[in-house]
Amino acid sequence: MPSLVNQANKRRLVIVGAGMAGSKLANDLWQTYGHFFQIVLIGEEPNVGYNRIMLSSLLANDISPADMPLVDTQKMQDDGVQIHSNDPVTSLDLETKRIRLSSGQTITYDQLVLATGSRASVLPIKGASAPNAMGFRTWNDVEAMTQLKGCQSICVVGGGLLGLEAAVGLAKRGHKVVVFHRSNWLLNRQLDEESAGLLLNRLEQMGIEFRLGESPASFLQTDDGKVSHVVCQNGEPLAVNLVVMAAGISPEIALAKSAGLETNRAILVDEQMQTSHADVYALGECCEFDQQTFGLVAPIWAQINVLMKTLAGEEAAFVIEPTPTKLKVSGVNLFSVGKIHTSEDDSSIFFKDVGANHYRKLVVNDGLLVGAILYGNVADGSWYFQLIQNKTNVSDILDLLIFGEAYCCPQVA
Amino acid sequence: MTTAIKTVTSGKTTCPYCGVGCGVNLTLPRSATEAVPPVSGDVDHPANFGRLCVKGSSLAETIQSDDRLLTPMVDGQPVDWELAIETVSAKIAQVIKDHGPDAFAFYLSGQILTEDYYVANKLAKGFIGTANVDTNSRLCMASAVVGYKRAFGSDTVPCNYEDLELCDLLIMVGSNAAWTHPILYQRIAAAKKQRPSMKVVVIDPRETATCDIADLHLAIKPGSDAAIFSFLVSDSAQAGILDHDFIDNHTTGFDVALAQANESTPNLSFTAGFCEISAQDLERLASWWRNTAKTVTFYSQGVNQSSSGVDKCNAIINCHLATGRIGKEGAGPFSITGQPNAMGGREVGGLANQLAAHMDFATPGAQGLVQRFWQAPNMATENGLKAVDLFQAMEEGKVKVVWIMSTNPMVSLPDTAQVRRALEKCDLVIVSDCKAHTDTTAMADVLFPATGWSEKDGTVTNSERCISRQRGLLPAPGEAKHDWWAICEVAKSLGFQEAFSYQDVHEIFAEHAALSTFENNGKRDFDIGHFSQITQAEYDALAPVQWPVPKGKSEGTKRMFGDGHFFTPDGRARFIAITPVLPKSQASQEWPFTLNTGRVRDQWHTMTRTGDATSLAKHTAQPYVEIHPKDAKRLGIKDKALVRLTSLYGEALLKAKVSRAVAPGNVFAPIHWTQQFANASVISNLIPQVVDPLSGQPESKHARVQLEAVSDICYGLIVSAVPLVLSDCLYWCQVPSEQGCHYEVVWPNGQTQASLKSIDVEQNQELAEKIEWLEYLNPVTQQMRLAKLVSQKLTLLVYLHPQPEAIMADWLISRLVINTPLSVKDRLAILVGIPANIEDKGEIVCSCYQVGSKQIEKAVESGICSVDELGDKLKCGTNCGSCLPELKRFIPSVAELSV
Repeated sequence: MPSLVNQANKRRLVIVGAGMAGSKLANDLWQTYGHFFQIVLIGEEPNVGYNRIMLSSLLANDISPADMPLVDTQKMQDDGVQIHSNDPVTSLDLETKRIRLSSGQTITYDQLVLATGSRASVLPIKGASAPNAMGFRTWNDVEAMTQLKGCQSICVVGGGLLGLEAAVGLAKRGHKVVVFHRSNWLLNRQLDEESAGLLLNRLEQMGIEFRLGESPASFLQTDDGKVSHVVCQNGEPLAVNLVVMAAGISPEIALAKSAGLETNRAILVDEQMQTSHADVYALGECCEFDQQTFGLVAPIWAQINVLMKTLAGEEAAFVIEPTPTKLKVSGVNLFSVGKIHTSEDDSSIFFKDVGANHYRKLVVNDGLLVGAILYGNVADGSWYFQLIQNKTNVSDILDLLIFGEAYCCPQVA
Repeated sequence: MTTAIKTVTSGKTTCPYCGVGCGVNLTLPRSATEAVPPVSGDVDHPANFGRLCVKGSSLAETIQSDDRLLTPMVDGQPVDWELAIETVSAKIAQVIKDHGPDAFAFYLSGQILTEDYYVANKLAKGFIGTANVDTNSRLCMASAVVGYKRAFGSDTVPCNYEDLELCDLLIMVGSNAAWTHPILYQRIAAAKKQRPSMKVVVIDPRETATCDIADLHLAIKPGSDAAIFSFLVSDSAQAGILDHDFIDNHTTGFDVALAQANESTPNLSFTAGFCEISAQDLERLASWWRNTAKTVTFYSQGVNQSSSGVDKCNAIINCHLATGRIGKEGAGPFSITGQPNAMGGREVGGLANQLAAHMDFATPGAQGLVQRFWQAPNMATENGLKAVDLFQAMEEGKVKVVWIMSTNPMVSLPDTAQVRRALEKCDLVIVSDCKAHTDTTAMADVLFPATGWSEKDGTVTNSERCISRQRGLLPAPGEAKHDWWAICEVAKSLGFQEAFSYQDVHEIFAEHAALSTFENNGKRDFDIGHFSQITQAEYDALAPVQWPVPKGKSEGTKRMFGDGHFFTPDGRARFIAITPVLPKSQASQEWPFTLNTGRVRDQWHTMTRTGDATSLAKHTAQPYVEIHPKDAKRLGIKDKALVRLTSLYGEALLKAKVSRAVAPGNVFAPIHWTQQFANASVISNLIPQVVDPLSGQPESKHARVQLEAVSDICYGLIVSAVPLVLSDCLYWCQVPSEQGCHYEVVWPNGQTQASLKSIDVEQNQELAEKIEWLEYLNPVTQQMRLAKLVSQKLTLLVYLHPQPEAIMADWLISRLVINTPLSVKDRLAILVGIPANIEDKGEIVCSCYQVGSKQIEKAVESGICSVDELGDKLKCGTNCGSCLPELKRFIPSVAELSV
């Protein structure tokens, strides 16, 4: 019986990384299986357990810092969960099951979970590591940005979800923002050209400037190493005060690599989230399963569930499922899920109402819905997502499918 | 008593559609800007006793038309009446002078009033001096006229409508009365319901809605009708049911006729084989015929529109003469006319082979009689040109001026290409019409704006010889004038002031009545001498009455020939020896299909009136061709797909209606759609100018055609705020709509969004900036849909789909008039075609209550098993009742239920 489990008999579970994956795992494990485990959560940031997704809203001033926590770290600590913040792990010894922290402390574990997350990719351009070239990953990053006064000229590199959220947040704070984006349209992994065009119009209305199909050619630095200008491909220099790097993320795998765990782009895990080494697990943005890495919250939550069961000795297996994407910019509704760029045997169905900023594209293959883009009106997003997840045969409703649930299932409404 | 001034708020008049001639109550709007309230049936009228069919019920919708011709036009320019009259009369005078009176012709209509007919006939035959006065009635009942005249010596319909209710056997030949004469059909159906022993036989190659009440349907080989009646004569002789007293005392020619019948149709099996029906079925008819004295044979266009139409009529009449089944209650050969006043035209003599007042040029003494009565300076002396001959003479340059009145020969005469050539050749084409745009007004040099129904004032005669008033209750719009007025003005301008100086229309009626009784003394059947002194007040109060109405017999005459006296010189009816023949053109390898033509339930003629009533477009929105499933399958033709019909004379594009109602090898197409409503569906394009040699009536119900599925096409729906020019469409059909324009179209394959957008080019630059296009593109289903919004209001919708699809256009059309910007929901819904969660009614079956097939199917599924219950639940069929036959088909039969 759980209540009879002696504290001394508890397994010590150490979680490296107190981002969203690590914090939530710690929290859920504590709540569900707290009697089995002595939980240790280690984070490199001063803030732990906050909701990273909300950083863009915080930057855009849509919420306050009080809205940021993801888990109640105080309560966890009160109940015996050990939390080490602002203290990154410096080494890992798989043989002795021991880690060492930056502070010098060593901690042994029975089982270890790596949730080291990812970092903003640094462009292979001179000056990309300048002091005023930053990522948009942490609460610290946001705090740095919120401290910028007046109207600064800011260059955002990358027109993906993160870059656009940063750009909008900064623009809302009154800064002059220019976004460089390597592809010809924004959010090219989530949108097609048509919907990206609608988004572009909307963001341009917010005063953001875009340079599509273009990466910065180089950065000009001042004597103190700061970037003073971004040089465009045509040689034109743009004066900037700050560069925000949002051109992709790189899984943080340095610790795992040096410990000898098998890695590729990220730490390889099996369907129970176990790494190449027994008793060592990985999840979140730092893991790689079936040649995929993960940046969205839904699969990571699924990984947490699998890992919790695995640790509790129950059967569980992680499977990759399509995950819808939304852009967290207030006033912009977009929804993207599944396969949105068609290959030969796919077909796309379109609805376009530019005037109402309403666009839909559905990708179907052999009677199944496999992908969807919604822009403007995303109310049917969850329904399409269900159709994709449940592999519902939509052959009979193909002529109405794009018009949404109300038309296809009138009895529901 | 109060002496408050009364203004007319309502009045009794007569329906302007079919030959039943129903009485109608018309209530006037309180002001000119208000809509005319729906009409109701006149309970006192002996034709309908208060009932109206769906067409009649919708009359009010047709009164305020957007397409009225409001001013005279000469060469496309509006002019005043004075100049128009002067132009016309100068040309007529010059043509008569240069080429003789026969270079002028009237081509009139069974829709003009008796008084209009009378003055036209008088002007041509007595004053201009030509008998070139023919009419569209030629196309509808000329064979029946000649049939009666050959048998009776006069064009006399012996029966009345009561006979249809009183008979014990009703043989309906070549008539789909359920759709074409709905009120008569309903009277018959009611009588049969009350007295189920009454037998109804339908003889028709097609299985029509009329078969619904039939005890027996003989689906004969097209055009073989005469053989049935030839056989009935010889069978009657063999069975010993001849009325020898009647034959001996009141007829001539029986022996020759019987001998011919015995030779032509020697026995049952030969006759059944000739008609391609089962001997058993024919025997059933024959046994009923033998045993039923009270028999009416009811016949219409299916008999008349034939190269041997007159013989068919006489084959029918022979049977009635041989058995004495004529002039008695519930018995007689009863020809039913298709137009409201075909009979009135016959009475004044408004046909090229008549003189006047039921007198022919050949009638001894008639020319002198009429000349004296009219004081006519230039009497015509011989028959003029019948319709088809008239237009052929026109093409040959012999007829140089034609005045067409209230009719649409570009659609109704056979071989439209020939009619076009004729009108193009003619020096002066005058068209009097209430509509600005018809296929025929498009050919006119001079247009005269005519008054229409509710404005026109005069009399009409229905199929049972009943004269009723069409009353002018509403003011004429614009410069529109009565046809009689225009004719008289031209006559006066030609110098015939005295003979045409009528002050009012009742004077014309009185003169017409006076001529009918002039030197008559019972010699002529048509005598309405009672009215020869009629006053304005009496005329205004004229109640329906059946002619003859000779002096001293104001109650009129219900039934003719009760005394066995006929209007031949010897007073005896004549038997005519009949050799049944099949239609002139028979199917061949090259032209494998036989085309039959007819009508749909909710349209009338060339849609110039019914096309204005949007509710009437719901039952059948597009022109179609009925084709047997076997033929459809063999030719790869799917239901509702576009089909090309080709004959030697032209082609037509129609939507396929795959149906077992037609026999394999036969197809059927309704005649209504003109180029005003569809670009390529004019059926008369296909019809040869084959006519009956005696009546000159074209064989419009018979053509040889090829059929093919049109390939590489896609189908579409267009809803537009403004009329469009759809030159890129292979086929378009404009379906009358409450507002805006509704087109059903077919394009060649390969349409793109750009090509669809180019349907409508925004001229207004100011608006161009406010245009938005909404698009739906589905390559899986090959659907493409576009909506154009101007200032966020819907102005154009285009739907394209690979297969014919029934989109319920009503709701889309209703979005055209929204004055506020379209809601977010509607911006999506207009590309779906339906608002979310709104019931799809299916195709409309009951036009009165707008009840659709899907609603009915649902009700039947829920356990409803009779038409009455359907009516209780959905109201369908409870108003005009014309959908009852169709409703019945939704009810599973007892046999089906027990399976």
